[in-house]
Amino acid sequence: MKVFFATDIHGSEVCWRKFLNAAAFYKADMVVLGGDVTGKVMVPIVDHGGHWKVTVRGQEYTLDSQQALEDIKTQIRNAGSYPALVTPDELQELSREEGAVDRRFTVEMTQSLDRWLDMADGKLRGGEIPCILNGGNDDIWEIDDIIEQSPCVSFAEGKLLDLDGFWMVSMGWTNPTPWDTFREAPEPELAAKIEAVVSQVPDLGRAIFNFHAPPYGTGLDEAPALDATLRPIHGGAVMKPVGSTAVRDAITKHQPMLSVHGHIHESRGVKKMGRTLAINPGSVYGDGVLQGAVLDLNVKKAKVTRYLLVNG
Amino acid sequence: MATEAVGGETPTLFLRKATGLVRGWSVRDSLIYACLATNFVTLGIYEFTFAGPAFPKGQLLTSVVISGIWVSFLVIAYAGLIVTIPRAGGDYVWQTRILGSGLGFVMAATGWWFILWLWAPIYGNILSVQFFQPIWATLKWTWPGGGYAWFGTKNGVFIVTVITIVIAGFLVSLGMGGYARIQKWCFIGGLVGFAVVVGLLLFNSHASFVSSFNYEAHKLFGVNNAYNATNHAAAKAGYTTTPFGFGPLGPTMLLVPAMMFFILWPNWGATLYGEIRGASDFRRVFSGMFFGLWITVILTVIFFLVMAKTVGWGFYQNLNSLDYNLTPQFGIWPYPFLFAGWLVHNTAFQVILLLVLSLWFFGWVGTLFLSSTRVIFAAAFDRVLPDRAAEVSEKRKVPFWSLILMLAPAVILGAIYAYSATFRTYTLDATLVIAVTYLFSAIAVVLLPFIKKDLWRASPASRIKVFGVQIVPVSGVITIGLLVYNLVMWLWKDQYFVNSHDSLLYMAGMYVLAIVLYVVARLVRRRQGIDLGLINKEIPVE
Repeated sequence: MKVFFATDIHGSEVCWRKFLNAAAFYKADMVVLGGDVTGKVMVPIVDHGGHWKVTVRGQEYTLDSQQALEDIKTQIRNAGSYPALVTPDELQELSREEGAVDRRFTVEMTQSLDRWLDMADGKLRGGEIPCILNGGNDDIWEIDDIIEQSPCVSFAEGKLLDLDGFWMVSMGWTNPTPWDTFREAPEPELAAKIEAVVSQVPDLGRAIFNFHAPPYGTGLDEAPALDATLRPIHGGAVMKPVGSTAVRDAITKHQPMLSVHGHIHESRGVKKMGRTLAINPGSVYGDGVLQGAVLDLNVKKAKVTRYLLVNG
Repeated sequence: MATEAVGGETPTLFLRKATGLVRGWSVRDSLIYACLATNFVTLGIYEFTFAGPAFPKGQLLTSVVISGIWVSFLVIAYAGLIVTIPRAGGDYVWQTRILGSGLGFVMAATGWWFILWLWAPIYGNILSVQFFQPIWATLKWTWPGGGYAWFGTKNGVFIVTVITIVIAGFLVSLGMGGYARIQKWCFIGGLVGFAVVVGLLLFNSHASFVSSFNYEAHKLFGVNNAYNATNHAAAKAGYTTTPFGFGPLGPTMLLVPAMMFFILWPNWGATLYGEIRGASDFRRVFSGMFFGLWITVILTVIFFLVMAKTVGWGFYQNLNSLDYNLTPQFGIWPYPFLFAGWLVHNTAFQVILLLVLSLWFFGWVGTLFLSSTRVIFAAAFDRVLPDRAAEVSEKRKVPFWSLILMLAPAVILGAIYAYSATFRTYTLDATLVIAVTYLFSAIAVVLLPFIKKDLWRASPASRIKVFGVQIVPVSGVITIGLLVYNLVMWLWKDQYFVNSHDSLLYMAGMYVLAIVLYVVARLVRRRQGIDLGLINKEIPVE
């Protein structure tokens, strides 16, 4: 069985499209996206009646045609941001009214995900190619129901999935981060959540852990060290492990065949932990490049026979 | 969810609080790294000993300024690559992604891995001549046999090389965090030491220097009237100094390829950049390297001025010429800071000054292997090297195998360097091979807007314009000019000691080794059912 795993595309539409094409491109039997599907940035496009104004990457554009508007929206989406069409008054409201930006973010994120899942229906031949998604710590709760309702995508969060010879358990929660995001829990609580789902696996020798947080201190979790003001120290060149000890302990204890992770974009790598092959393919979604892992799984031997980290 | 509006009263974007949204880093840290990489003490002063006498009609002062201006374009080109593809692995990542896996591996393996084996004995030699020899001479220590002179023997060179490799390996094992702290304090201490030297040379007269030089040379080495003796010995050997000044341009341009030995490395930390980026990153990345480079240039200019004022430019060049002709005065490398310390007739002061100035070395020595380990990691993750090459020991967090891949060959080459005089002349190969790697990164930056159009359009670098012209690709072209000029001169002129038959064979051997490694990796991985050609193939969007 060949599996393509990618993660942390953070709203990048070009990466989503590539993800949907990855099965055909790598001849994979299944595609898995390991969380953090939603973006972090919303770009207002201000409607001035007949023309629109928008600032993209520091450069201001005045758009005179519908085509130009659509082009800039595509550009914004491909970079992992949400284009938000607003009137000048709405923009003022967003700036002033408490909670207005949050509400608009939620609308843009859910609408975008809806569109993505419609795309998936066509690309994945209505569910013929298995596609698994789970949440990540940066994903809002509203996405769970939307993915659950998709006919062609399986929502894996907190579940045990039977993959015809292998068992996949998924967990989008992570240990605490400096940003206090949605799915975070202290290590003991995270360990309990992991145990709750792992205990359902009938055969751990055939288990795949799909945990968003990478295991602590394995090189899959190296992020730039920050000072108290969230400023990287020493030019961003000083890295420190920020993964989860609960995830590490679960892997060490249960020794699944494979453990796939994300969360720490810059820590692309592979680590052998006893019997377990642990992988973080990393993410460079902002570049429009879909980093991923192509994994050959041997059903008979219950092992990963080949892997390749790719920049698709 | 917490959000933040950017753009003042009329926001141009909204950010929600999410993992990885960090504030910009301090330019100071990358500036220190760049300044220590273009180390005007360990590499610069070391190189001037050779460059001045090799091209006596050229002007070091002008050549350093010209080199600084030219290398500034390399800084712009590399800043463009860093903000467009900000990945640990630097040149390896950029070249494999833009120019292709095979070419990228060969260039990165030779320029960031194999050639650094040769840098180990060079670093060792610098430690010997700027630390062990002057301190031993000042303290008149006679152990080991021969005292300070022992460090110039074959055994001495080899042992100091091994010491250097051990120190560099130790600093890498500390991790970037520990090393950065050491670097910061070494940089500050080194600057203080240099300020003391400048003060000594600024506030003492030429006559006072001559008198002190003669006094200390007699005291330490038993040489009478050493100042005049030095000048006579140089004149006898046929060396004539050009007075200190700015021109002529032609012979001065011949010095530019020699200056690259120390000034070509402001981008040395480029392999270490992770994924941190933002709208203003180009300015930050550029500023760190640019100001690091220009602090080096300014310190060098100050050094030349105070040397010319108090030591005497002709005398300084005469000292260098004697060393260049393998007859160094007092049998010791002419370390200007040793002689500056002689202005204070106090052994403790002289030793403390040398120790403080050695911080330029100890803050810099870790750069020897640090970047190489990142390149080895990146190649191992791409399955070109065995998986083991990227392993880090869980207990000590040491990248054991990648360090072995650096240390073991470095020790062997260190031995060859120590015991073969011919091999020592390959020193400038060390610059040449890295320059070739840089050349391909410069080509990559020029081709980037054409090969990776979307990536380029999305990059902050594409918005850096002067008179409407994108400055990063233009800087790439100017950098290609710089590197091609240097490569042609190195291979054409005998004075650089690069174009010898043996030297060329040595360099060719490294490229062949890299090609063989890559071909073997492709074959082995294909047999394992892994197609390395897939690594950088882009998935279609539609």
